Amino acid sequence: MRAFIEFKDVSFSYDVEDAQPVPVLQHFDLAIAQGDFVAILGHNGSGKSTVAKLCNGIEIPQSGDVTVNGMNTKEEENLLEIRRHVGMVFQNPDNQIVATIVEDDVAFGPENLGVEPAEIRRRVDQALRDVGMYDLRFSEPHKLSGGQKQRVAIAGVIAMQPACIVLDEPTAMLDPRGRKDVMKTVQMLNRDFGITVLYITHFMEEAAKANRVVVMDKGRILLDGTPREVFQHDDALRAAGLEVPQATELSLLLKRDGVPLSGSILTIEELSRQLEELLS
Amino acid sequence: MLSDITIGQYYKAQSVVHRMDARMKLILTVLFIVIIFLCKNFFSLAVMFVLTAVSILVSRVPFRMFFKSLKPIIPIILITAALNIFYVKKGTELLSFWKISVTTGGLSTAFFMAVRIICLIMVSSLLTYTTVPTQLTDAIERLLSPLNVLHISVHTLAMMMTLALRFIPTLIEEIERITNAQKARGADFESGRFLERVKAMIPVLIPLFVSAFRRAYELSFAMTCRCYHGGEGRTRMKQMKLSAVDFAALGVFLLSLAGVIVLNRFFQAMI
Ligand SMILES: Nc1ncnc2c1ncn2[C@@H]1O[C@H](COP(=O)(O)OP(=O)(O)OP(=O)(O)O)[C@@H](O)[C@H]1O
Ligand SMILES: [Mg+2]
Repeated sequence: MRAFIEFKDVSFSYDVEDAQPVPVLQHFDLAIAQGDFVAILGHNGSGKSTVAKLCNGIEIPQSGDVTVNGMNTKEEENLLEIRRHVGMVFQNPDNQIVATIVEDDVAFGPENLGVEPAEIRRRVDQALRDVGMYDLRFSEPHKLSGGQKQRVAIAGVIAMQPACIVLDEPTAMLDPRGRKDVMKTVQMLNRDFGITVLYITHFMEEAAKANRVVVMDKGRILLDGTPREVFQHDDALRAAGLEVPQATELSLLLKRDGVPLSGSILTIEELSRQLEELLS
Repeated sequence: MLSDITIGQYYKAQSVVHRMDARMKLILTVLFIVIIFLCKNFFSLAVMFVLTAVSILVSRVPFRMFFKSLKPIIPIILITAALNIFYVKKGTELLSFWKISVTTGGLSTAFFMAVRIICLIMVSSLLTYTTVPTQLTDAIERLLSPLNVLHISVHTLAMMMTLALRFIPTLIEEIERITNAQKARGADFESGRFLERVKAMIPVLIPLFVSAFRRAYELSFAMTCRCYHGGEGRTRMKQMKLSAVDFAALGVFLLSLAGVIVLNRFFQAMI
């Protein structure tokens, strides 16, 4: 598959006033295939949010190139087009909602793009239906739950009809129910609309649902592969300050104690099925 | 409860006034203020009083709402009335003591001014009761857009107003959260003299400002990500459209203006 977002030999550091610049990424390479669902894991400060901000030209690398659908983020005139293609959802839903009515907020992106009013209306209604918030389209955002607000933010992004969505810990501030709703919505966008997803998270169970997991440590890629492959390296993950999904951890412990489990195990269902077979 | 805060003082109801174009409502409110200052006698004032009453009846906003918005103005009305009673010396003297005398002219001027202020407050509250705040900022943006020629960015101002409205409930929630956190640490906001209470607010205000700036920073990021680049080339989902009701209302207001001018000429001016 063709790479949609590509980091080539990217080095990036934050300029800080009156101090040494903070280096975050050095010679970083990463290619996100079109239509893929990629999760990025990493300890605090490992550079995940920085990768997200480089994806749509909010930050520009000091050396190396970031390209989106062939467009370099270094070129100013590409930026609007890049941001239309790559939507962003952040951690705190309160700080990304701009309007006092749900449907007005969803309309914000298309309005900025200069889309025709009737077409905006159509997209807004569709986006709100897609994320299951159509019934609440006249509500005031501050009266919604965290999960609902985050789905409004997602609707605001898909109303711009992006090819890719980057979500930076979208569920970090949500309760388990909101987390599940948001994850389901994102999976649906990837599966049904073919939208490329870059999903930054702290939750292993969410990462396990991706097609590909990239583990970052101190601005480098530590592990990269399918969730099954990546979560086998429990020692490396722990060294990077991360955990493995509970089912995987238990299965690895059991294997070490000589229980004959086969393959790599990701979910509780898989583990319980194998254990049942062994016991019967 | 905090989650019940409604932004602005919009009163939800089904009425022609609610359905009217916000731009027309804004224009008519300004027109009303101009006309009521043109009134020179009780006859022309009566026209405006009737216009106010009819507008309120048509809006289906209950009268107690208007009384609520009048309440804080009552002292001002009383002070103006008192000043007029004691300073205006016209007509026959009713009573006098020491250096103060009250005349019929003074009384009627006081009454005239009071009615004028009350009508003003009622009509401007009517605007905010029947119009969603964002529609109001939108209307201001569209009405003032000719100012763009003078390089005044009306869009930026309207956007700032909209964002301020959007973040009022968020910041109120934040104040509540910080206050509770400080209370849990033993802060006391309720007792003490004024200065002590102000001092007690400092540990609330500083975190509030820090967080407001952080929010502003994140919001600007989010807006950039959603392709915001100022008002240029921006379209709007909700178009504003003038309808028959708007023109009818304009007609009624213009007729009132004509009535006021005629009545001003035919009857003696009292102020
Ligand atoms: N605006 C900034 N100015 C200076 N340094 C920054 C800035 N933003 C991030 N950093 C630093 O860059 C490094 C990487 O930050 P980044 O936000 O990418 O990490 P992260 O993996 O997203 O962490 P978290 O899990 O906490 O969100 C950190 O050491 C951080 O302190
Ligand atoms: Mg981060």
